[in-house]
Amino acid sequence: MAQLVKKDDDRDEEGVHYLVCYLIAKACWSYSTAEYSPFLGIEKGAVLQEARVFNDPQLDSRRCSQVITKLLYLLNQGETFTKIEATEVFFAVTKLFQSRDIGLRRMVYLMIKELSPSADEVIIVTSSLMKDMNSKTDMYRANAIRVLCRITDGTLLTQIERYLKQAIVDKNPVVASAALVSGIHLLQTNPEIVKRWSNEVQEAVQSRAALVQFHALALLHQIRQNDRLAVSKLVTSLTRGTVRSPLAQCLLIRYTSQVIRESGVNNQSGDRPFYDYLEGCLRHKAEMVIFEAARAITELSGVTSRELTPAITVLQLFLSSSKPVLRFAAVRTLNKVAMTHPMAVTNCNIDMESLISDQNRSIATLAITTLLKTGNESSVDRLMKQITNFMSDIADEFKIVVVEAIRSLCLKFPLKYRSLMNFLSNILREEGGFEYKKAIVDSIVILISDIPDAKESGLLHLCEFIEDCEFTYLSTQILHFLGIEGPKTSDPSKYIRYIYNRVILENATVRASAVSTLAKFGAMVDSLKPRIFILLRRCLFDSDDEVRDRATLYLSTLGGDGSVVETDKDVKEFLFGSLDVPLVNLETSLKNYVSVHAEIQEPSEEPFDINSVPKEVKSQPLAEKKAPGKKPTGLSAPPTGPTSTVDAYEKLLSNIPEFSSFGKLFKSSVPVELTEAETEYAVNAVKHIFDSHVVFQYNCTNTIPEILLENVSVVVDASEAADFSELASKPLRSLPYDSPGQTFVAFEKPEGVPAVGKFSNMLRFISKEVDPSTGEAEEDGVEDEYQLEDLEVVSADYVLKVGVSNFKNAWESMGPDCERVDEYGLGPRESLAEAVSAVINLLGLQPCEGTEAVPSNSRSHTCLLSGVFIGNVKVLVRLSFGIDGPKEVAMKLAVRSEDESVSDAIHEIVACG
Amino acid sequence: MFFSASYICLAISLFFKQEMELSLIGLQNAGKTSLVNSIATGGYSEDMIPTVGFNMRKVTKGNVTIKLWDLGGQRRFRTMWERYCRGVSAIVYVVDAADRDSVPISRSELHELLGRPSLNGIPLLVLGNKIDKSEALSKQALVDQLGLDSIRDREVSCYMISCKESVNIDVVIDWLIKHSTTAK
Repeated sequence: MAQLVKKDDDRDEEGVHYLVCYLIAKACWSYSTAEYSPFLGIEKGAVLQEARVFNDPQLDSRRCSQVITKLLYLLNQGETFTKIEATEVFFAVTKLFQSRDIGLRRMVYLMIKELSPSADEVIIVTSSLMKDMNSKTDMYRANAIRVLCRITDGTLLTQIERYLKQAIVDKNPVVASAALVSGIHLLQTNPEIVKRWSNEVQEAVQSRAALVQFHALALLHQIRQNDRLAVSKLVTSLTRGTVRSPLAQCLLIRYTSQVIRESGVNNQSGDRPFYDYLEGCLRHKAEMVIFEAARAITELSGVTSRELTPAITVLQLFLSSSKPVLRFAAVRTLNKVAMTHPMAVTNCNIDMESLISDQNRSIATLAITTLLKTGNESSVDRLMKQITNFMSDIADEFKIVVVEAIRSLCLKFPLKYRSLMNFLSNILREEGGFEYKKAIVDSIVILISDIPDAKESGLLHLCEFIEDCEFTYLSTQILHFLGIEGPKTSDPSKYIRYIYNRVILENATVRASAVSTLAKFGAMVDSLKPRIFILLRRCLFDSDDEVRDRATLYLSTLGGDGSVVETDKDVKEFLFGSLDVPLVNLETSLKNYVSVHAEIQEPSEEPFDINSVPKEVKSQPLAEKKAPGKKPTGLSAPPTGPTSTVDAYEKLLSNIPEFSSFGKLFKSSVPVELTEAETEYAVNAVKHIFDSHVVFQYNCTNTIPEILLENVSVVVDASEAADFSELASKPLRSLPYDSPGQTFVAFEKPEGVPAVGKFSNMLRFISKEVDPSTGEAEEDGVEDEYQLEDLEVVSADYVLKVGVSNFKNAWESMGPDCERVDEYGLGPRESLAEAVSAVINLLGLQPCEGTEAVPSNSRSHTCLLSGVFIGNVKVLVRLSFGIDGPKEVAMKLAVRSEDESVSDAIHEIVACG
Repeated sequence: MFFSASYICLAISLFFKQEMELSLIGLQNAGKTSLVNSIATGGYSEDMIPTVGFNMRKVTKGNVTIKLWDLGGQRRFRTMWERYCRGVSAIVYVVDAADRDSVPISRSELHELLGRPSLNGIPLLVLGNKIDKSEALSKQALVDQLGLDSIRDREVSCYMISCKESVNIDVVIDWLIKHSTTAK
């Protein structure tokens, strides 16, 4: 909460609530710093016993206050009271209303709030609180308002509304603040009542008391937050006037940035509304206002370097502040700026270098990572020296941040790979947890794949690492990686020793993957074959089944019978080729296969066919999406998603005899709504694409309780889809109220051709009235029709979203044989990001490596896409976008695929779109 | 002589300061809060709002300080009466003598409360309020209809009062002072 960052002189006004928080915090602090704490050894049972003093006829206020403090401490420590305990304590506490001790009364208020007893019990204090709310003691009034608003319900609120409105404009700031803060809470439950207080709140915004102004502004904004125009007006009027309270000023800056965000980017003149106000705040006397304004400026969307400069200047001053919190705030903000505008931050580099030795490790880590982002090639060596000293005394989580920063630095300055790789290998040898080690290994792997010169040294570092690696996961991943990269090096034989050592020394999982790696060397490097076979034969005596199985498989497929021949391409493909189906899909298909045969209890006659596994990767839910920006995935597997709907469709269609001859389902689209929301009949359609057929599945819902529909079918007019001819239609016999049903229409189309067309649909049915009392339909029905919206089959329907883990590798291995390159003008577009997403949607391909995200403000962008075209042809697409002044977007489209006609087809899609 | 006597009185009142705690209960609109006002100030007001929960008042009469727990009479508070009656010097039960329909409910609530073991032996003072109204019950009728004769485990007294016209309020105060305990 903002209240916690308050300055000391405000504390009096804050009242008891923060005092207690402060006391408890202080107590915890002294507890953690050892010696003595008044809360040492507090135990619930004992405190509940002590709480009996509340019932004494002669109250000892001091003692009662102490007991309540202990109870509050317990509650704050997460101790829970049973219903009975809480009730007992609550009623005992209510007895304390008899005391006139002001301090004790404060504690009583707090206790009632913290205990939050059930509604039917807490009502007992209402009358007492209402009395206190109108008392002469301001402290009673303020706190009674807070508690009363906490426990109140709608009916009571209308009774006390009058008092609350008065309290908002009360001359005592504590009372006014209490009422305003209560208003903020009540807005959640009783918005219509709180909204009536607008006039009073507006008056309170003009208050001379800093805290009242702050709370009033917060409440006023909350009341209006759903009304953009009102917020804009509020900001406009207040930025002109004088808001005295620094906290309120901070709020106002936040609201201003919100208005700036919503009012869109620069108008024609290039001036940004309210920028002058933000810039003016940089000269405010309160540090928190300066910082808030600086941060707001750095976070403006599409901020220019001219706009950034003044903000960076004040942040630079903060870097050398004596207050750690300011240094931290400044360096953290600069760190963020460095991601998008590294050049703007370079001025601060000298100040930041001195922060590397800062006592506070968080500040030091942020300083280092910022420097790594902004540093130039010449400063790398010096920086690395400083970091090496620094690494030994920070925690793993900070180290990971540093490792990631170094990785991106290395990608930026490939020439410096030697010192950076050395650094990584050094820290790899030091102590560290799994996450940290994984970050280092990931970084080395990425550097090896992106910087060819670094390959040999990087691989050797990894080999040394697995000699003494305690993490099975990392060992197997590295062995796998060695198997891919090792054979391509100048001297593959030097890795064999490291790998075979794993077979001798490690656990079964690592041994098994070491066997696979050996086999890969054997398959790829013919000269090593005899030696590999000897090693593999030794593995035949391993104690673990998996290890022996693998060795046997490799020996027999690679020709381990002694003859050293060049390995067949098919064998290589079989053993080491990538599996072109998502693993999740494979798993479900295998489960289905097993369960079907388990049911009929006899072994299957026909073998499992991997071609029957659906290949589509369902797009991931939004929440899982990576943060914008390029993020290398390292060793982790390519993302796979749930496929349950694909399975469900496949099952559904295979159960319909008319469609069983169509072969394997290639792709099912997402449902397309064919009716407006809230109509009598809700219909959406799913397009199922087969090799030479298309099936439309119409999901219909009857939303009228008094009507039963029978013989429901969709009449499709395909006159605007010349390539399609209707084959079959499967009507729905009856469609009762609110239980969805499906009807299907199938079309034939030329095989393997991405035919497109537009279909107009008419829902035809017999409608019968239903007697609401009996639920029975009448005998006779009326034939009726209902016009649906058109359905289109587009090229993207013939493309499956299938991602690749390493686009560069995939691109190169595909080769330029069937490459087609062309350039297109996309005309004026809203923004680059909009153009990119439009093309992605048009093509229906899977964006790879996070390249679908366009950094704001960039003038050019490269997007990588991959997928499978109908007929099982892999397609890779590299899109290069550029935007010029008047928002004209140009695009270069490069397509590689296994079939040049498919490459042409992709171009066709763009040309027509 | 006169001076010394008053001096002794003062000394007695200082040394023998008396204190008592009372719970005021009864159905809603019986006149509990009005009674508190009568005892404390002698004032009376026609428009009272229902007590939501309880009011705590301290009244000093002579050398006796009386703590009054004036509890709300609505149904939702009746289960909570008992919590505020534990350990008091006396329970004051106020009945609207002019509202004949409510007397049976009043009776059952009273007997249910007195059945609680935690309240054993606490003296009970029943007050029939609003005798200024013509339809008010007589004392005997009230005693009969409330079944006060059947209560044998504690001291029970009954007075007919009118807060509006300050009838018998002094008698009530006398009774209370008599039942106060010496402060420890």
